[in-house]
Amino acid sequence: MLSEIAVIVIRGVAIGALFSIIAMSFNIVHNATRILNFAQGHIFILGGFAAYFLADNAGLPTWLLMLVLITLVIGVLVAAQGWLTLLPLRGNTSEQDSWMISTVSVSVIIAAILMLLYGPFAYSVSGPVPAFRIFGVKTPGAFVLAIAAMLGWYCLLSFFLRRTFTGLAISALSQDFDAARAAGLGVRRLQLLAFGISGMIAGSAGFMVAPIISVSPDAGMRYVLNGFIAAVVGGIGNNSGAVIGGPLVGVMAMLMAYKVGGAYQDLASLIVLVVILMFWPQGLFGRAAARRV
Amino acid sequence: MASHNNTLAETAGPEVSLPARKGHFKSDGLQLRLGILLILLTGIGPSLLGNSYWEHTFQLVNIYIAVAVLQNFLFVDAGQKSFGQGAILGFGAYGLAIASGIHGLPLAVGVLAAVGAAMLGGLLFALPALRVQGFHLGFVTLSAAIVFPQLLIQFDDVTQGINGISLYLPALTKPVVFGLSGLTLLVTAVPIAALLMHYGIRNARLGRRMRLAAESAEAARSLGVRPGLMRALGFMIVSAGTGICGALYVPTVGFISPQGFLVELSFTLFFVVVVGGRGQLLGPIIGIWVIYIVPNVLLVQLVEYRLLIYGFLTLAVVIAFPDGLVGTVEARRRKRFQRGGGEQGFRLAPFTETLEKIAPRQVPAEAAPILEVRGAVKRFGQVVALDGVDLQVRPGEVHGLVGANGSGKTSLLNVISGFSQMDGGSYSFRGRDVTRQNAASIARMGLGRTFQTPRIFTGLSVWDNIQLGLDARPTPLEPEMAALAHRFKEAYGEDNPGLLAHGQRRLLEVIRVVFADPGLVLFDEPAAGLSPAERAEFSRLLRQLSKRLGVAVILVEHDLDLVWDIADRITVLETGTVVASGPPQALARDPAVQHLFVGGAHA
Repeated sequence: MLSEIAVIVIRGVAIGALFSIIAMSFNIVHNATRILNFAQGHIFILGGFAAYFLADNAGLPTWLLMLVLITLVIGVLVAAQGWLTLLPLRGNTSEQDSWMISTVSVSVIIAAILMLLYGPFAYSVSGPVPAFRIFGVKTPGAFVLAIAAMLGWYCLLSFFLRRTFTGLAISALSQDFDAARAAGLGVRRLQLLAFGISGMIAGSAGFMVAPIISVSPDAGMRYVLNGFIAAVVGGIGNNSGAVIGGPLVGVMAMLMAYKVGGAYQDLASLIVLVVILMFWPQGLFGRAAARRV
Repeated sequence: MASHNNTLAETAGPEVSLPARKGHFKSDGLQLRLGILLILLTGIGPSLLGNSYWEHTFQLVNIYIAVAVLQNFLFVDAGQKSFGQGAILGFGAYGLAIASGIHGLPLAVGVLAAVGAAMLGGLLFALPALRVQGFHLGFVTLSAAIVFPQLLIQFDDVTQGINGISLYLPALTKPVVFGLSGLTLLVTAVPIAALLMHYGIRNARLGRRMRLAAESAEAARSLGVRPGLMRALGFMIVSAGTGICGALYVPTVGFISPQGFLVELSFTLFFVVVVGGRGQLLGPIIGIWVIYIVPNVLLVQLVEYRLLIYGFLTLAVVIAFPDGLVGTVEARRRKRFQRGGGEQGFRLAPFTETLEKIAPRQVPAEAAPILEVRGAVKRFGQVVALDGVDLQVRPGEVHGLVGANGSGKTSLLNVISGFSQMDGGSYSFRGRDVTRQNAASIARMGLGRTFQTPRIFTGLSVWDNIQLGLDARPTPLEPEMAALAHRFKEAYGEDNPGLLAHGQRRLLEVIRVVFADPGLVLFDEPAAGLSPAERAEFSRLLRQLSKRLGVAVILVEHDLDLVWDIADRITVLETGTVVASGPPQALARDPAVQHLFVGGAHA
């Protein structure tokens, strides 16, 4: 019994860490643009595919080198996606709804390309950290990487957004575009940077945790949904909320899988999402913002 | 451009005439006729020619067209982006197939089951829609589209899982008239009905109010519309219609399985609407032709690349032609045949002339205050925007609210109109405590407001923008005002509000709120951006509102001359507290605020 609880908690927290990473990658773009990138889950999976083709069974130095390289490449790709997404949005507001359409089409395009190139299969990847035992339970090494990636990105982002000039400028965007522009900030460049950083977060995480995720073209959708749920639970835009929300959602999903079977996992996610939106639309840890009229 | 219309001049007297010009703001009527024609051609044509391949292809296509038409309505008129309409279609199809195909219930029961099942699925979208909007619902619908086929497999004791359900209805394939089968007639009639429904709702009060809620939640609430309710209603209407399409899908295909309702179907339907042209009546039909028919029929060898092509096509459309195919043509047409704008674009004069003819409503001198604010406190984090504000406004009184930027004027307006809740204190409107009421209910009690940025909707004609106010009106119009409304309709029915100057937009918003027959109107900097002539017209209107219609007005305005001229009483706010309140003459003698009004030190 105790070991079952341990399994649920450990798995839940580790899987949940992935959700909170995706939630944080949502947050930075949302704060800078009010856009939620529906392709974020597929970008995450892209990192997993990169791990399979470039770093499977590789030694630690190669793995680290590839991690840095992939992080940068996916960051640039997502910045380019951001450029495309922002093209039709004049005036830097997301009043227009075109971004939802363009980010969804990008997610469909990524899934379609992966499907054409690699087929509908799930690839298994071995990572650099070996499995170990905790409470007598064999635990994949990538669980540690997942939690490390979450905490690492959380600390990096906190430092960046609060202590550097560029980061503070991005935080200012989340308050008021016009004021930020009036203060002389290059709004569009900061927004592209935010897209790039979100790509680095999701891409690097996908790469690092490839051994414990389903590296297949249609898996992106599941991660983007659970990442969104984690973001909503934590309050959209709130990274501290995401770090708590992700593991919460993860443990809940594991508990659900344990009680009623893994096949109902997506249904459970949908129900959790609907219930959260109906009763706590601002999230459990959301912050109240002054309403603009 | 501004030729004058004689018949208008006759009914209105010679003093003010409205412009009359040729042109059409929308081509909805034409698109509707074209759409029906296309559906008839593809629905009946192949059967008449005896081509069974095309007959079958277009039967399925026409069902998808009906689903896409409903999604188009949901997309623009109700403002909701759904990535899950394929799942709703599946709910409907399975409703009928399980009821009639497996359990052998009569078809009428099966159709009811289809509509019921689809609405149950729609409830999943409609319930969160009561609270949230935009991308939140996008994720809910996407999630439903993914889960639905999984559920069909999971609950295989109900749905027969991957084995699917067959249901042939030979009666439907027998010729009924002119050699056309009942099925052919039905799959032709249903998309036409969907199109007519879209057109009908769009041009009715419900459709306008839905569109209003979709375009601006704040404006909707200020006119007594609850945006959440409208969103939920939109989802439910569309789900019911999609359920009927689902019921029709079963006999058309003859066999259904989870494979028919994968997330790809939902994406395809979504892309159809975007590529065809969001909100254009003809859009879904053209969209289906481009997205579905061409790749599926003419380029069969490319089927594997289908989603990739759809994705790129949609991305390209969003970036290069955001209005979609039909929308781009429509935008060109509108630009070429547009009318409106210019000096005659919109004027208050006809309105004020008409008000002159209405018998003044008497306001008793000692009437109870229509609005009474007691100790209002509003905080934003550390900032105290309102710090114990008291305010009384009597019926028919013009009450000026002045103060520097950040003194709490707009915060007070937002609290009074129910847009934000007080952190302390209370207030009553028309004698009822409304401190905890929501904005829409307060608006329905007769409180109107305008916004610093006028909420004018460029997707609606100038007249439709005015009509939003009439839609919110609880009482019938006086005969003079009804005649005026009719003249406005004639003059501005086809005018493009995008051509109006900023000041004219403000005045348009003012007329809209006055037509809603409020007892109290909050004007938030109404004179900003008005020309001197417009400003004069506006002060005349304010006087008439208060003296003739007995409407109380709270006027937040930086132009102190204007406030001084027309306000019966003025309240001065400073950092969230009232520093002075009284008639203008009294304030002129008050040393605390004298500097505001004497000399040239206007804010």
